Amino acid sequence: MTFRTRLLLIFTIAVIATVGVVELLVLGSTRRAFEGVESQRVDALVAQFRLEFERSKQEIVRAVGGIARSDALRDFVTKADYWPYLDQEAAQNLASTQGLKLLELVAGDGTIVSSAEWPARFGYHEEWLTQETDWHSRGAFLKREELSDGVALSLVAVATAEVADRKLFVVGGQEMDRDFLGTLVLPKGMRVLLYRNLEARYSAADLVSGESRIGDAQRLEPLVESVLGGRREASRIVGSGADAEVFHALPLAGSEDSLLGVLLIGSSRRELVDLEASLRSTGIWVAAGGILMGVVLAWWATARITRPVQLLARSAGKVASGEWGTTVEVTSADEIGKLARAFNRMTHELVEQRQRLMQAERVAAWRELARRLAHELKNPLFPLQITVENMQRARDSYPEQFDEVFREGTATLLAELSNLKQIIGRFSDFAKMPAPEMQRVDFNNLVAETMRLFEGQLSQTHIAAKVELAPVLPLVPADPEQMTRALRNLILNAIDAMPRGGTLTIRTAAIGEGVRLEVADTGQGLTPEECERLFTPYYTTKTHGTGLGLAIVQSVVSDHKGHITVESETGKGAKFRIDLGAV
Amino acid sequence: MFLRLVAAVSVAGWLSASLASGETRPRYGGVLRVEVRMAGDTADPPQSGPGLADLIGNFNITEWEGGRRAVFEANEAAAGGRPYVDRVEVQLARALRDQSADLETGKADIVELGPNELRRSAAGRKVWSSAPVRVVALVFGARVEDARVREALSLAVDRGIIHRVLLQQQGEVSGALLPQWLSGYAFLFPATADMGRARSLLAGLPATARTLTLGVDDAALRPIADRIALTARDAGLMVTVVTGASDVRLTEFRITSTDPARALAAIAGALGMPLPAHAASAEGLYAAERALLEGFRVAPLFHLPDSYGAGGKVKGGPGISPLGEWRFENLWVEGERQ
Repeated sequence: MTFRTRLLLIFTIAVIATVGVVELLVLGSTRRAFEGVESQRVDALVAQFRLEFERSKQEIVRAVGGIARSDALRDFVTKADYWPYLDQEAAQNLASTQGLKLLELVAGDGTIVSSAEWPARFGYHEEWLTQETDWHSRGAFLKREELSDGVALSLVAVATAEVADRKLFVVGGQEMDRDFLGTLVLPKGMRVLLYRNLEARYSAADLVSGESRIGDAQRLEPLVESVLGGRREASRIVGSGADAEVFHALPLAGSEDSLLGVLLIGSSRRELVDLEASLRSTGIWVAAGGILMGVVLAWWATARITRPVQLLARSAGKVASGEWGTTVEVTSADEIGKLARAFNRMTHELVEQRQRLMQAERVAAWRELARRLAHELKNPLFPLQITVENMQRARDSYPEQFDEVFREGTATLLAELSNLKQIIGRFSDFAKMPAPEMQRVDFNNLVAETMRLFEGQLSQTHIAAKVELAPVLPLVPADPEQMTRALRNLILNAIDAMPRGGTLTIRTAAIGEGVRLEVADTGQGLTPEECERLFTPYYTTKTHGTGLGLAIVQSVVSDHKGHITVESETGKGAKFRIDLGAV
Repeated sequence: MFLRLVAAVSVAGWLSASLASGETRPRYGGVLRVEVRMAGDTADPPQSGPGLADLIGNFNITEWEGGRRAVFEANEAAAGGRPYVDRVEVQLARALRDQSADLETGKADIVELGPNELRRSAAGRKVWSSAPVRVVALVFGARVEDARVREALSLAVDRGIIHRVLLQQQGEVSGALLPQWLSGYAFLFPATADMGRARSLLAGLPATARTLTLGVDDAALRPIADRIALTARDAGLMVTVVTGASDVRLTEFRITSTDPARALAAIAGALGMPLPAHAASAEGLYAAERALLEGFRVAPLFHLPDSYGAGGKVKGGPGISPLGEWRFENLWVEGERQ
């Protein structure tokens, strides 16, 4: 992963994380605000219900009292032909005058004399009426009401009347049903349900709503059971997603402190869910926009940062490839600018150091050359001097032997001069080193021809020559003369390395499109230190020689874009390997 | 026959109201407007039975709208002479309460009276009541196979309180098919409730066997059905009052003959029960009726009279016979419609 990609990724992640955090914060605060409003709405509705409930109670008390005091009741009772039974329409007529749905006229002993809600119940007894003495102060209360078609929850009040020495209970009220709930004004998104606790177990049929059919009655069972069991208010979220509602449940106590109902105020969470979805959607769009913008900005920013870095990298590559004087343009004063300046300073110093090093090496080379020249020239000069001095001494002291000494002396002088000439020729060869003239060369032939040159020399030694040529060898561009010279030097080195004899092995091999040439001996071998310095000009491990042989070989191989290596262990000989063409 | 003095005919002294002779002079002409609760929702007018069919002979039917109205014109060639009124217009399917209101406001001349309407007698209004010729009874369908259930429901009915409160003591409480005035032995059939025995009969029966539907098609009988359902619940029966098909029907039959044997045979025929053998003696008749009631397929509850109210302008009469048959040919209408 490039630095630029990494920067881009970090930038993008940072944008996404920031948008996500902001989104979460907004959602959290929105939820809290909504729940606050929701709580206020529920409180308002609870208060409204309590108000409506109290108002209904007062109205019922007033209506029942009105019936108890009415002349119509008096007429019904006084004209009763079959007391304790009244005209079966009596209760219905009286109830209709006060708008009551429920009305029972009960004799003092508890016998129902007329019933509006269940006319057939005349003659039955309402024992509970005879147990309370002060119905006036009791007000209206919730009551479980048995009707012909089932059981209902009612809000009733009791009044007493004395008509013609007959005591009468007037029990009237309203059914706590859909109509009652319909009187509550509900804000949008809220609904009120009434659970009538009329059965031993929870029954969905006892749950009524003021507006519509209840489709989720069964889901409210845990909340209702919780309120009935705990006898206190409770809240719970019912459903999930957009259908979720927060229900606040109020227990409704009846006579004798029994819980006869549970009022459930539901507030839909659809608005919150929609709002959250809207915020989430907006957040996603903002995030997408942010990411897009972030990518663009990151692209631009990383470009600003990485372009100089890339320039620096390219310049470093140039330096690595040998362009020591490479510099980069300094365009800013920031860290990148400092880095560029440091780079320029570094390459500048590198060039200077290299020049110094080259100068030092050149001086060292010259010193080595001078030392080697001195050493090489001193060896033949000393016999020359001795020979000349012997010849002078013989002429002065032993004239009779001068001719013999002169003859021997001149032979020595010629030999040493030849030696000097040879030394000078080697230096001259190294200095000349022309550019290679490339042609496609068959190295098997080249090896064979070169080996023929050494047949005579090898025959005078105890060295066995072993030539292993590859059966198929590609033709490789090379200068045959220079490669012959290099091979000859390696063979000479190998011969010199085996003064007591051994095996000289020359091997060719194909390596892809190139060739490998190996020259191995079984001499004393080289130490690792010697291997490192082996190709240094004028370095030699031999007692004679100029130290230019392997330097010339390396120069030739290098001019052919090839590669030369040496493998050696002390006592196990040495193996020189030249790879050409495929390097 | 121009003058037709109407005598107050009372076979057994049942007619509760009569018109003294010489009250006024009969007149021909006019329209007699009658309202009944009978639906008569048929394509053709009834040719037999009480009410409309009683007019045939003295009147000719000229219009028939099943379920709404019927118009009869006086038959000039009637065997007993031409009726006084020219026409009788009968409005069908009229509720009792509405009938009374129409009578009060003069929209009707003759209406049926229920127990509650009977109590509210208004000035100038005539009331004609027949003998108790309507037998109100529970009739069990074939689905109620268990005789214990049938007997339990019969025992759970408190006839006395229904008679006092709902029927305003009109008619008689009875456990017999034939009324006391006709058979003389009706009191021998038990008519009292026995809730304890009813409960013991039902003990151990499954809930499905104790669940019944009580059908009542006559709105006037609905309060009685509701009360029966209520008291049946105390006995352990779950009775639901319905209209239409049901397990038990609360219905009424008419006594159509003053001959008890014929009357019993007619009731048996109406119930779809085997006709009893003709009994010449009261003992035989009692045995025949007892045989019909064996098994509690039918539980007689009350014998009720037909009661009609007539407006002040209706003269002549009484307009019904002791068996509740219409005798409108003897009536005339005073006033502007003459």
